[in-house]
Amino acid sequence: MNKLLSVKQLRISFRIRDTFYAAVDNVSLSLHKNEILAIVGESGCGKSTLATSIVGLHHTNHTKVEGEILYRQQNLVQFSENQFNKLRGNTIGFIFQDPLSALNPLMRIGEQIAEGMIYHARLNKTERADRVLQLLEQVGIPDPPRVVRQFPHQLSGGMRQRVMIAIALANKPEIIIADEPTTALDVTIQAQILDLLKELQAETQTGIILITHDLGVVAEVADRVAVMYAGQVVEEAPVEILFGSPKHPYTRSLLKSIPQANEKQGKLEVIHGIVPSLMKLPREGCRFAPRIPWIDDSAHEKEPVLHEVEPGHFVRCTCWRHFDFQEEVQLT
Amino acid sequence: MKTDTMQEQVDVETSPPTGLQVVWREFKKDKLAMFALFGTILGIASILFAAYFLIDEKETMTIKIIERFTEPGMNGYVLGADEAGRDILGQLVIGAKNSILIAFTITIITSIIGIFLGIVMGYYGGWIDNALMRIIDFFMTLPTLMIIIVFVSIVPEYGVWELILIISLFQWVGTARLVRSKALSEGRRDYINASKTMGTRDGVIMFKGLLPNLSSILIVEVTLSFAGNVGIETGLSFLGFGLPPSTPSLGTLVSYATNPQILSGRWWVWLPAALLILMLMLGINYVGQALRRSADAQQRLG
Ligand SMILES: Nc1ncnc2c1ncn2[C@@H]1O[C@H](COP(=O)(O)OP(=O)(O)O)[C@@H](O)[C@H]1O
Ligand SMILES: [Mg+2]
Repeated sequence: MNKLLSVKQLRISFRIRDTFYAAVDNVSLSLHKNEILAIVGESGCGKSTLATSIVGLHHTNHTKVEGEILYRQQNLVQFSENQFNKLRGNTIGFIFQDPLSALNPLMRIGEQIAEGMIYHARLNKTERADRVLQLLEQVGIPDPPRVVRQFPHQLSGGMRQRVMIAIALANKPEIIIADEPTTALDVTIQAQILDLLKELQAETQTGIILITHDLGVVAEVADRVAVMYAGQVVEEAPVEILFGSPKHPYTRSLLKSIPQANEKQGKLEVIHGIVPSLMKLPREGCRFAPRIPWIDDSAHEKEPVLHEVEPGHFVRCTCWRHFDFQEEVQLT
Repeated sequence: MKTDTMQEQVDVETSPPTGLQVVWREFKKDKLAMFALFGTILGIASILFAAYFLIDEKETMTIKIIERFTEPGMNGYVLGADEAGRDILGQLVIGAKNSILIAFTITIITSIIGIFLGIVMGYYGGWIDNALMRIIDFFMTLPTLMIIIVFVSIVPEYGVWELILIISLFQWVGTARLVRSKALSEGRRDYINASKTMGTRDGVIMFKGLLPNLSSILIVEVTLSFAGNVGIETGLSFLGFGLPPSTPSLGTLVSYATNPQILSGRWWVWLPAALLILMLMLGINYVGQALRRSADAQQRLG
């Protein structure tokens, strides 16, 4: 196995009024070469927190990161800003959710793509300019020589996200972390961007961590999936297994809440409640228990851990063995 | 938007106005602001030109008792003479030049300090911000004018530079506070994080990525603080704690008005200087307000 990155017992806590609350709690994951690992979960589950701390974007003033993020036998958790700067944009690329706010409004597209190369690639000015054009070509932007001279507001949303992808690809990274890269885009553009990501991934053998709240996206591109709930991984499996035989009640609820074409109109099953806020998060027992109150307490583990139910398929807690959707069907 | 890759290109053609265009549009809409802009620039330019090429400072400041309080238009004194027979017009021009240059220098110094500290505070936050904020709060509570006056009275040899430095010591605070608050919100935007993910160092991000995005706010702040500094310098000179008496200043000319006889009988000594200060301050302030409106307009455009 070609492990690029492995996260071990990672805990990320934010300080709120002098107390630290873990938004990511005991997460262990690994990313292999040439794979797309999707991390799914509702908004507020800690996905972005996990993603940003891998590249050291968290604010050290009020964030505590414990555990290990192993990359090339080094623990990124202990990295300084300078050490991170040698990795970021070099061997690890990052794609943001909203390309408009992630591009500097006053900098030309060409400059922004070249920015990462200035620090990491030994290229002179003309070589850099050539590489910028080549990257724009690679991400499917028509008329690159014109686009390099343009400003972000002159491009459409889809084009901007292509530019972001070009930035992430600039130094041929081993790892790309994409935090909801298609959430801010229209549905048709979303599909194009996902196709592009998948295509580029196959071409470059990059390992991608794709963060999303949309299982549709996962089904389309992912190789392996980790489902996160309230700061923990509750289920992890290869994509076919996860969609074929989902185990954890949370995963099954997420799958149920995708509108199905063949389902009767308006008969959409949804899970009750929302992801609890950081301060109200249950820290003991099964964190999903409050959202499935009809399941008996004895069905849950006292301290739920991940069980390997079949090779490569992990599920947290034992409540899935006893879980059934409640009879009541909600109308939405 | 139901577009495919090719149709998306259509968007590329239309480009929202850039910063300068927005500013120009605002001035074109507002005739008074336009008038203030050109009037102020023209006024300042002609004062500087006259001060350097047309008027001899030594000659102007030579005391000629016989010409005491010559009325305007007499003996070649266009605006008359003061109690020592010195030409008012000459003093006015030299004084205005001094006030403008002093205010300008103070503005440069305080802007550099204020912008630098403000960006560092806003970008890093945390203890750096806390520590500097304490210092700023401390400065804000000080009775600035009183300290400057005490300083001026106890320092024996004090000239233009000492005056500039002592005023600058207090004036960077406002700029730093404003820039900090803007940098704080702008620094949380994703493009700053995106720059970090490219391996760009903090210094480069702050001054090459963040600073240009604060420029519209900064232009307003710098313009208004320039007007403020003209006011402070002339005010101090008026009170007798600004420029030494041998150096002409608008404030010194106006201060003659404290003598009731001059106030009522010799209006030409103080009135032109008072009017000039008023016009300078109003002009610069008006330009600053118009700039602020265009900065707001830009913010609305996103
Ligand atoms: N800087 C922060 N300070 C305090 N709480 C935060 C901060 N960032 C995120 N959180 C909280 O951490 C939890 C996880 O947030 P996030 O990682 O953004 O979730 P996701 O990306 O899955 O939507 C949320 O409850 C959120 O309110
Ligand atoms: Mg998020």
